Amino acid sequence: MSKKYFGLVALVLLLSLTLFGCGGQQAEEQPGGNEGQAEEINYDGEIKIGLMIPLTGSEATYGKDMENAMKMAADEINAEGGILGKKLVTISGDTAADPQQSTSAATKLVSSGVVSVVGGYSSGATLPTLNVFADANIPQVIPVANSTKIIDENPGNAIQINGTGFHQAEKALELFEGIWDVEKLAIVHQGDGYSEDLAKLTKEAWEEAGHEVVAFEVINKGEQDFSSLVTSIKSKNPDAVYWTAYYADGALLIKQLRQGGFQGEIAVGDGSNSPKLMEIAGNAAEGVVCTSNPMVEYLPAAKEFMENYKANYNQDPGPYSSLAYDGMHLMKDAIERAGSTDGDAIIKALKETEGFQGISGETTIADNNALANSNFVLLEAKGGQWKLIE
Amino acid sequence: MSTFDIFLQQLVNGLLLGSFYSLIALGYSMVYGIIKLLNFAHGDIYMAGAFVGLIALSFVSGIVGAGWLGILISMVFSMIAVGLLGVLIQRAAYRPLLNAPRLSILITAIGVSLVLYNSVMVLTDGEFKAFTTDLGFAGVGLGNVHITYTQIILVLATAALMISLNLFISKTKYGKAMRAIALDKDACRLMGINVNKIIAITFFIGSALAAAAGIMAGVYYGSIHFFMGFVLGLKAFTAAVIGGIGSIPGAMIGGLVLGLLEAAGTQLPFIGSEWKDVFAFSILILLLVFKPTGILGKTETERM
Repeated sequence: MSKKYFGLVALVLLLSLTLFGCGGQQAEEQPGGNEGQAEEINYDGEIKIGLMIPLTGSEATYGKDMENAMKMAADEINAEGGILGKKLVTISGDTAADPQQSTSAATKLVSSGVVSVVGGYSSGATLPTLNVFADANIPQVIPVANSTKIIDENPGNAIQINGTGFHQAEKALELFEGIWDVEKLAIVHQGDGYSEDLAKLTKEAWEEAGHEVVAFEVINKGEQDFSSLVTSIKSKNPDAVYWTAYYADGALLIKQLRQGGFQGEIAVGDGSNSPKLMEIAGNAAEGVVCTSNPMVEYLPAAKEFMENYKANYNQDPGPYSSLAYDGMHLMKDAIERAGSTDGDAIIKALKETEGFQGISGETTIADNNALANSNFVLLEAKGGQWKLIE
Repeated sequence: MSTFDIFLQQLVNGLLLGSFYSLIALGYSMVYGIIKLLNFAHGDIYMAGAFVGLIALSFVSGIVGAGWLGILISMVFSMIAVGLLGVLIQRAAYRPLLNAPRLSILITAIGVSLVLYNSVMVLTDGEFKAFTTDLGFAGVGLGNVHITYTQIILVLATAALMISLNLFISKTKYGKAMRAIALDKDACRLMGINVNKIIAITFFIGSALAAAAGIMAGVYYGSIHFFMGFVLGLKAFTAAVIGGIGSIPGAMIGGLVLGLLEAAGTQLPFIGSEWKDVFAFSILILLLVFKPTGILGKTETERM
C-alpha cells in the first residue's frame, strides 16, 4: 500500500514539475521591451523577416542565443525607425537542427509571407531549405553553416556570411607565412569529418603555396598518450605544428609536444579556442596561436553588443550570436540599398554587399555567394588567456 | 634526430605507456585468476582513482602544495578509497552472482562500468578537468633523447608497486591463499580458508593499483575526464590477454609489449600514425594464433 502511495506522490510531483517548467519557459519566450518603444514611432506598415534557428533539440541553446541576438538587432532597427519606414517583425521557424523539421519550418515561413529570411544553423539542416526559399524567391542570409557544400548547392538567393574551412585554411596560411615564416609544417587531426577536412584543406593550400607538409598525422579520440607521435613529429623537424581538432585532446598534445622538447611554433584550429585549452595545458600553451571564428569575447567592436546582450538576457551571448546579429543588420542594410521589398532587388543587393561593417568583422560577398575574405581571427595564448592578434 | 635517438626515445615512450597498461592489466588478471571474471568495470575504477586523487589533491595542495609530497599523499588516499570502492562493488554486484552462470556476472560487470562512468559524467557535467600540479618539464637529456623527472619517477613508482605485489603474493599467507583459491575454490573452503575475505582483498589490491595508475595518468597528462577509462581499460585487458590472463608476471610483460608495439607502430615508415593500432593489434592476433594462452599463460597453470 505505502509503496503505491509513494509512487502516486512521486508522479504528481513529477507532473507538477513538468507543468511548472513549461509555464516558465513560455513566459520567457516573450522578450520584453518591444512594445513600449514601438508605440512612439509611426510605421508605414510591416516587414516580416523569418528566422531559421533550432529552438528545440540538442542544439536549442545555440538557437536560442541566435534568436535573442536577432531580436535584439530587430529592436535596435525598429528604435531607429525600422526598415524603409516599415516596422520589422520577426517570425521564428524552429529547425530543430534537423533536415525534415527545418524543411517544414521553411514552408511555414514562406506561407506566412516573410519578405526575407535570416538564419540557418548547421549545414545539414540548411541544405534542404535552400530550394524552398529559392522557389518562393525569398532572399536569405545564412549566418552559421560552414560546409562548403552550401556554396555548391546555393540556388542563388542566399548568401553565407560565416567563414568555411577554406577561409580558416587561408587564415592559417597567413599566420604561417606572414607572421611565423614557417617552411616545414606538421598537421595533426582527429579523424572526424570536421578536423580532417580542415587538415586536408590546409595541407592542399600549404603545398600549393610551394611549402612542405612533413607530417600529416591523426590522433585517436579518447587516448591520452601521444608521446610516440610527438617523437615521430620531432624526428621530421617541422617548424610548426597545426592541430585542427578540439581543445581537450589539443591541450594534451601541446603539453606533450613541449614535454618532449619540441621547440617550434604550435597553432590550433577554431575547435580549440576554449580557455580550457590553457587551463589543461598550463604553461605549455603559452604562445600557441588559434585560428578562430570571430568570437564576441575577443572582438573590440562587439563590446557594446556583449553588454547589451547580457543586460537584456542575463547570460553570455554564446559562440554564434554575433554572426546572427550581423546577419539581421546586413539584411536591413540590403533591403534599404534595394529600396524595396522585392525579392530580386534584395537578392541583388545582398550579393553586392561590399565592406559591410558588423561586430564580427567586415563582410564582402564573392561571386560564389560566400565570404570573399576570411573573417577568421588569430588569437594568441598569453598568461592563460586568449588575446586577439591585431 | 638520428635513427638511434628516435629508437631510444620511442623505447622510453613505449615503456612509460606500457607501465600504465601493466598496472591496470594486473587488476584484470588477478580478478580473472581468482574468480574467472572479466571485470570490465576495471577501466572505470582507474578513472575513479584519478578523480578521487584530484579531489584529494585539491585539499592537500593547500597545505603541502601540489608537488611530489602532495601527490604522494593524495595517491595513498585515492588507493585506499578506491580499493574500498572495489571491495564494495565486489560485495554488492559480484558476490551474489559467484555461483551463477559466467555470462550473468560478465553482464553485471558491464553494468557496473556504465554506472560508474555515467555517475562521474553527471557529477562533472562531462567536462575535462585540469589536473594541475607543480611539476615541470625538467629532466635529463641523453643527446636528443629527453626524459623528464616526472617520467622517471612514474616508471620507478610503477616498478615499486609491481615488486611489492609480487612479494605479497609469493611471500605472505594471504598471497598463498590467493594462489590456492585460483587453483580450487571449493577445496580452499574445506580447508578453512575464508574465501570471501581473500576475494575481497584481491579486489582491494587490484582497484588500488588501478587508482594509482589513474592518479599517475592525471599527473602525467594533466587532464582527466569520465571516459578516460574506456580506451585504456580495453588496452589493459588486451595486455592481460597477451601476457596470459591470470598470470601476474604475464600482465606486467603484456602491458610493456603492447606499449612498445604502439610506439613502434607510430614510427612505421611510409604509413604514419593512423596505422598504429592496426599494426599493434595485427601483431597481437598473430601472437594469439600461435600461442593462444598468451606469453606466460599455460593451459593448466596455477593462476596466481
